[in-house]
Amino acid sequence: MNEIEKIKDALKSSNAEKIVAFVRKESEPREVLKVLSPNEVDKISFSPLSLNNPAKLLMQINGKVAVVAKGCDSMAIRQLIKEGKLKRENLFIVGISCKGVVDYRKLAKFVNLSEVNDVELNGNDLVLKLKNGEKRIPFLEVVDENCLYCGHPTPVIYDVLIGEPREGKRDFSDIEQFERLSREERWNYWISQFERCIRCHACRSVCPLCYCEECMVDPSNLAVSPMSTPEEKASYPRILGKTVNARDNTIYHLLRVLHHAGRCVGCGECERACPMELPLRMLERKLEKVVVEIFGYDLNEDIPFFSKLDIVGD
Amino acid sequence: MKIVTFACNWCSYAGADLAGVSRLKYPEDVRIVRVMCSGMVNPAWILRAFRQGADGVVITGCHPGDCHYMVGNYYAKKRYLLLKELMKFVGFEDERLKLLWASASEGKKFAEEMDSFKKLIEQLGEQKQLRWTP
Ligand code: SF4
Ligand code: SF4
Ligand code: SF4
Ligand code: FES
Repeated sequence: MNEIEKIKDALKSSNAEKIVAFVRKESEPREVLKVLSPNEVDKISFSPLSLNNPAKLLMQINGKVAVVAKGCDSMAIRQLIKEGKLKRENLFIVGISCKGVVDYRKLAKFVNLSEVNDVELNGNDLVLKLKNGEKRIPFLEVVDENCLYCGHPTPVIYDVLIGEPREGKRDFSDIEQFERLSREERWNYWISQFERCIRCHACRSVCPLCYCEECMVDPSNLAVSPMSTPEEKASYPRILGKTVNARDNTIYHLLRVLHHAGRCVGCGECERACPMELPLRMLERKLEKVVVEIFGYDLNEDIPFFSKLDIVGD
Repeated sequence: MKIVTFACNWCSYAGADLAGVSRLKYPEDVRIVRVMCSGMVNPAWILRAFRQGADGVVITGCHPGDCHYMVGNYYAKKRYLLLKELMKFVGFEDERLKLLWASASEGKKFAEEMDSFKKLIEQLGEQKQLRWTP
């Protein structure tokens, strides 16, 4: 029985009212997330091109739901349970031990995507079934870089597990390497990155942890007139507008990652969504390094990072 | 030089007050914003201060264990460390951000710390990295 059949079986064994799973996109070789009813279970699919994180969708669905989750997806689900946004008893999680996903942009450089019928992982190769014939690409050349640092390829929370458990790792070598650059080099690098950001806020919109009903960058809906009292104005302090320039973008990005301290699950959705291809995960991973090394916090702890009241340093 | 100081109402603001009452001199570049607790200082305010032209920012609060709201300063410390590390990472001059515990009786300490912080900021010169320029 192949992986997809196993997933279908597992989904059928749940008594959920809705299913959140990957469905093959028309005319493209990748999967997208869909909310299905139980009788549509045969539509589902799964491949190394099932990239997205279903956790955010789950927050919008009431009642019992079955979901297909890779390692990082399950991390996001667990984090949302920790934060009171999802209820464990409402979820039936089909966990998939993940071998890594493909970076769609990298793949597009190798083949004309419209010619690809199917994609599967075979040993160390990604096998593309083309309209005429087959093409093999070493997986390492198209793997999402984010997956190389994956700490939890095996789901951390599940009802059914599919595939053999795999070891995660903790590797901050890339961050350490960057830290060795001089201050000026670091600043120039980041300013040149932030400069390109167009502040579409897609990175925020896809992040499963960015569920704030009103984000710091949303325009305040409080009209300020000459008649507004100071109390009124103070009740809605403006932090950061939508101005797009390298400095304001810097502030936006610093704040966005700060809001993810001890929470970011490393799914890479932010980077995947960014039209300007900013290295957003690097900032998140730096913060994770701080959380781990300075605060000694482990994402697997039951208590959320900010609720833990320990004081470090003098 | 502009140094924005967030001072908590119960300890540090009183400490700054004491410095004044005792006629201790500290740099006039220090502009104090009174907040109820260091724990309410949003990192966004700090970045906003730098954007609006501050050359240095100080968060002051009660000593650990003395916070009027029990644990506000624990949150403050956490946020401060995270922000500082991030600033360092992106190459911002993170020395411009300082955290200071000062009790209501530490007027002298408050004045001295502000003095030495100003000297440090003077060495660094004007803050240009985040300052908003039209
Ligand atoms: S910040 Fe990016 S990697 Fe982290 S949880 Fe959000 S989308 Fe995933
Ligand atoms: S960036 Fe911050 S304020 Fe905005 S949605 Fe994400 S966590 Fe909430
Ligand atoms: S998705 Fe990319 S371009 Fe859009 S706001 Fe985020 S970093 Fe900027
Ligand atoms: S009241 Fe002073 S730090 Fe909380």
